[in-house]
Amino acid sequence: MSTTPATKPNGAAALVTGAMNTIHAAGSGIIKVGWLGCGDRGRGAIRQCLSADPGTEVIACADLFESKAISGREYLKQNPKYKDRVNIKDDQIFHGFDCHEKLAQTDCDLLVMATAPAFRARQMLAAINAPKPKHIFTEKPVATDVAGCRMVMEASKIAVQKGLAIVCGTQRRHEFSRVALMERIHAGQIGELVAGQCYFFCSGIWYRKAMPSMSELEWQCHNWYHFTWLSGDQVCEQHVHNIDMMNWCFNGPPKKFMAIGGRQTRNYSADAKEVCKRYNNGSDANWEKYNGNIWDHVFAEMEYANGARCASFSGHGPGTDREGEKIVGTKGTSDCSSRIEGENPWKYEGQHVNGQQQEHIDLLESIRAGKPLNEGQRIAESTLTAIGIRTAAYSGKSFSWNWLMNASKQDLVPPQEQLKPGPGHFDPISTGCDKLV
Amino acid sequence: MAKRTGLTRREFLTGSAMAIGGLALTDITARMAWAAPTDTIRVGVIGCGGRGTGAAKNCVESSPGIKIIALADAFKDRLDDTKKHFNVPDNRCFVGLDAYKALLALAEVDMVILATPPGFRPIHFAATIEAGKHVFMEKPVAVCPKGIKMVIAASQEAAKKKLAVVAGTQRRHEARYVETMKRIHDGAIGTIVAAQCYWNQGGLWFKEREQGQSDVEWQLRNWLYFTWLSGDHICEQHVHNIDVINWAFNMLPDEVHSIGGRQFRTEPKYGNIYDHFGTEFFYPGDVRTISICRQIDGLDFNASERVIGTKGWSDCGGSIYGENAWKYSGANPNPYVQEHADLIASIRNGTPLNEGQRVAESTLCAIMARESAYSQQRFRRTWFTAKCNLNLLPPAELKLTDAKPVPPAAIPGKYQLDGWVSDNTPKKA
Repeated sequence: MSTTPATKPNGAAALVTGAMNTIHAAGSGIIKVGWLGCGDRGRGAIRQCLSADPGTEVIACADLFESKAISGREYLKQNPKYKDRVNIKDDQIFHGFDCHEKLAQTDCDLLVMATAPAFRARQMLAAINAPKPKHIFTEKPVATDVAGCRMVMEASKIAVQKGLAIVCGTQRRHEFSRVALMERIHAGQIGELVAGQCYFFCSGIWYRKAMPSMSELEWQCHNWYHFTWLSGDQVCEQHVHNIDMMNWCFNGPPKKFMAIGGRQTRNYSADAKEVCKRYNNGSDANWEKYNGNIWDHVFAEMEYANGARCASFSGHGPGTDREGEKIVGTKGTSDCSSRIEGENPWKYEGQHVNGQQQEHIDLLESIRAGKPLNEGQRIAESTLTAIGIRTAAYSGKSFSWNWLMNASKQDLVPPQEQLKPGPGHFDPISTGCDKLV
Repeated sequence: MAKRTGLTRREFLTGSAMAIGGLALTDITARMAWAAPTDTIRVGVIGCGGRGTGAAKNCVESSPGIKIIALADAFKDRLDDTKKHFNVPDNRCFVGLDAYKALLALAEVDMVILATPPGFRPIHFAATIEAGKHVFMEKPVAVCPKGIKMVIAASQEAAKKKLAVVAGTQRRHEARYVETMKRIHDGAIGTIVAAQCYWNQGGLWFKEREQGQSDVEWQLRNWLYFTWLSGDHICEQHVHNIDVINWAFNMLPDEVHSIGGRQFRTEPKYGNIYDHFGTEFFYPGDVRTISICRQIDGLDFNASERVIGTKGWSDCGGSIYGENAWKYSGANPNPYVQEHADLIASIRNGTPLNEGQRVAESTLCAIMARESAYSQQRFRRTWFTAKCNLNLLPPAELKLTDAKPVPPAAIPGKYQLDGWVSDNTPKKA
């Protein structure tokens, strides 16, 4: 993929409104944006989208919670930088578990997706198969289970056929320094890659109690980080960034996984008991499930196609923070960010950009140039890599990429028709020797 | 020095299993060099469990002229089979927590096999060197930094006294490892830039607590599961593989960061050790290595090592791949026997091997990784050896009948890493 600044739109192709579903928004006209997931990251992403291109306009928004969708529109309208490009009519604000389907029916050209990761794959498919198919910006990770990753790969193929762009929030791929560095690594400046390390270990995360009127399932989605089926666990939700860097170094996913891990420190008992009482007539008898089922530490080994074994170190806890990567070759090493040490020392001295902004610039420029970027397959592979690590850790088993990709039947997200306000969906905390499915 | 009086060659040839109980072993006054390869070396065993008895058998098998002449164990029932096997008379069998003292007081004992739970090793080792006897000791050799310091000090004392010290990290005596390491050290794989080592296996034995058993007795009989006794499984077992990586580098790691926990084996009968550790060791030059160990039933077994260099890689145990590909094809004698053969030969040659410092250092690395996992903190070895004074040594007044509550398994954040102040955190990824 190209992440050097894309060719500027030449302005020759005027945007044709109406039924032009094959040249989505190519050219210089208005790009109509639908906003899906109006939480904190969603707010960041939509701001970055609007900043990236003055020709963008938000015409619809959606969130599981009505209040969030409404406040999302207000949030944008209050910002003097963007308010003129916020044109969301009341009937273009959607909520509920099927809000993505309603959003898919709108006239927007581009979707900015930032809901909980569990729903991403279905949302993508709906957007790409919509009567007016849509370009996509999606936050990472793009799924929480193997089935979801396959769905994203399928969506990605359809997107290619339809000329749709898919860019995702693994922003390191859009930082100029890393792009320049990777060109050197791929050109052999550190020799053959023989080892690597990647880390995302930091202090914990919020725990959200139930808001008034939330059903149990809605509360779970509100507190999504703590449930593997919703977030994919921390290794997937957060560490996917660093895993993606390893995959970038090796130009593809690993061929084998081995991992250990567990849940040693996470405890939200006071809040979890309160939530338990809320949904159990005042009893906190079985409060533990409200504590969530994600782990808090995972240590993994990924073996890449050439036999190189890379360490992955992730989790939440009180210990020493680690975040970053290192790649080791026969002729040198790199921090995967801006430096090479060894036989061919090098330091990036060019322009530094904010990757979270640049990814939107690259996406919109590619749409206008009629050369849509499509990162769908790649982000699905990196998400599946993280899921592979989690699955190896939860099961204690080693397995291959091929098994995971082709044979695993892992499918954690309840069918769409079961997703409605009502009881929650709880899985137990893994003991580290789950059966492989 | 006086020549050692001992069993005759003829007596030796009649075999160790007979008649030893009837021999008078007297007028031994000092440790001394052995003039002939078959002069008898009289061995005492402290810790007569499976490994202690196994080591004693390996020792006897390894070389001519070895007699197991004295035994000590905390428990009589643990000693009986060994006593019978080696035909050791009652008056040289000692039972109880202080039994080792009685054994070490026997002037006729030349060499001692130390195979009690590792928590006791520093005390037993120091006392054995003090008593002037050669040592074979099982790994690990300590469970805390205080114990490591004792072992290193006693090893230095052993060197002064020309006593041999060999440790049960048997890979150091295994031909395929020894030959591979020679080549690695000669540059066959270039400069080492990465390494991995593993000990993943299922659970181990445990013994149900009997009615009326004291805390101390119950813990000693299930010593694997208590950090003060075993050092946790990363120390008790994985030290083998960590030692191999140290060997390959010929250096110790500068830093460590580990995570771990107790996810599967959570019942109280499993004491307070973890069931998994994932560790990153940082060797000089910021060379980062992976160490993974796990004891969870029903999962894949993997106990191995791997080092990667700029010109190739090796499994450390007989194969080199890359520019200088090579495969070991010679004999590979049982390393559990070979380590004793090497030890005995070194005693008889008057060039006593001394592996005390080295095995203490590898044990130290395992302890560092455990403490890093218990606290989730990353720290330097120099910090650990200077500032962490964790002392898990059994108190001198410990009685088999004592109550000894089990501290909970470490919870990072709640676990107080001895000596830790947060400024020690190195600030790089």
